[in-house]
Amino acid sequence: MYQRRRVRMGLTALVLTALVLVTIDVRAGDDGVLSQARGWVTAAFRPVQDGVGVIARPIGGAFRNVQEMFTLRVENQRLRETNADLRERRRTLTDLERENRELRRLLNMQERGSFETVTARAVALAPSSFEWTITIDAGSVDGVERNMPVVNGDGLVGRVVQVMPRSSRVLLAIDPSFFAAARTARTAEVGSIEGRGGDPMVMRPLDPNADITQGDEIVTSAYQGGVFPAGVPIGIVADVGDPAARLAREVTVRPFVDFTRLHHVLVVLSAPVETVPPLVGTPGLEFEPPPVPRFIEPDDLDHDVDDPNGAPADPNGAPADPDGDDDDGAVGTTGNGAGVNPSNASRPTT
Amino acid sequence: MIARPIVIGLALIIAVTLQTALFPLLPTGWFRPDLLLLLVVAVALEDGPLPGMRIGFAAGLVTDLLVTLSPAGVATLVMTVIGTVIGTIRPYLAPSSLTAPLFIAFASGLLGTATYGTLALLLGDDRVTGTMLVQSSVAVALYNAVLAPVVIGPVGRLLRKFPRQTATAVD
Repeated sequence: MYQRRRVRMGLTALVLTALVLVTIDVRAGDDGVLSQARGWVTAAFRPVQDGVGVIARPIGGAFRNVQEMFTLRVENQRLRETNADLRERRRTLTDLERENRELRRLLNMQERGSFETVTARAVALAPSSFEWTITIDAGSVDGVERNMPVVNGDGLVGRVVQVMPRSSRVLLAIDPSFFAAARTARTAEVGSIEGRGGDPMVMRPLDPNADITQGDEIVTSAYQGGVFPAGVPIGIVADVGDPAARLAREVTVRPFVDFTRLHHVLVVLSAPVETVPPLVGTPGLEFEPPPVPRFIEPDDLDHDVDDPNGAPADPNGAPADPDGDDDDGAVGTTGNGAGVNPSNASRPTT
Repeated sequence: MIARPIVIGLALIIAVTLQTALFPLLPTGWFRPDLLLLLVVAVALEDGPLPGMRIGFAAGLVTDLLVTLSPAGVATLVMTVIGTVIGTIRPYLAPSSLTAPLFIAFASGLLGTATYGTLALLLGDDRVTGTMLVQSSVAVALYNAVLAPVVIGPVGRLLRKFPRQTATAVD
């Protein structure tokens, strides 16, 4: 009897404590006491997780090698075909680079400089089945700040959501709460991309009838403002969705990054691109739309890309890419978005 | 006397480390076993409701502090209740049963994950979808059932090496 009463009282007390924690966390938001406590716990566990990760990584690698033996033959054939395709494309690359430089000069655009980055190791994943975050071993002492983009050699990894002195937490791009502006590299169709809690991501193009085909590369766009520099590879279109779904076409995107094998990542230290403030209602601003033909024949739409009087193909202001590839810059090496920052490119003068 | 809490604390730290640093390296798909929940089950089955409640609270709190976006306190609530319930039903289980721990590991994984996801959803965590909830609950339940023999048994034996002095009198 005494024991039962003690269990009941203890359970009531602990459940109330848990509910108080929920209330505090929901009300305080990102800067509350529990957020600080999360930072302390992460910092406390990081060295142990780091050590275990170093020891266990070869074990995990061995498991994966066994698993992959069965897919190697198909993968080898696919890589041979890809290699042949790349050799073909490489022949035209030099000419395209020259053409790209010329076009940039024509548009008087500033060449993009290098990203300032810091390298970090992925130390641990979140213990929850509903959250896709990693802990990395770089923090505020390394210059990491919240909302900074995180990339690796394959493309976009995510963004920093919590910063401690020597570690940070990164929200992976596959987390359902992840959101970024994106566009297709081939046709520069813009839209938004979000995670879905697993491998495939979903892109929602602004134009439901956008020209998107299977195999198109999806890259980040700075068009709508946000934290990501333009041109960071995200993934490849696996399913173009239903263009008839005029309100919410969903394009399935297979990410380039293998999120189960994150080891080293780069945190882009360059300042996040500021969101362009809305122009509507701003006093003293008069916007004059550029002269456009009053009527556009449907057949002419296909030629807009090359039309010097028409709108540029890339909503970021970048020139139309003749080869259909995205040459906005390689991840971690080029591109600070200066040439494509909407605050520079599209803000009208008074 | 003091050795037992230390052993349980160390087991908790080891479980957290394996859960966050080792399991992501294994090819288990997007879902992983919930080692912390298994530890709670093991302690509750061995010691009863009050220790089960305590370890559930501690494991849930650590889980809450190691996630970033879900509201803190949800895992604490779920694991505390699970630890208490399993400790309470312990007298009704055959001590030498091999299937009972497996079933409890499966059921706790299923209900624990589903309840956690549902509460997170109700508290505004819109990342949780119905499909994800079902998938993760079933996956965690299956993984936990598979891992149960290598967690529940050894943890029970370890706890028996450090018996509670006042265990029978208090709990």
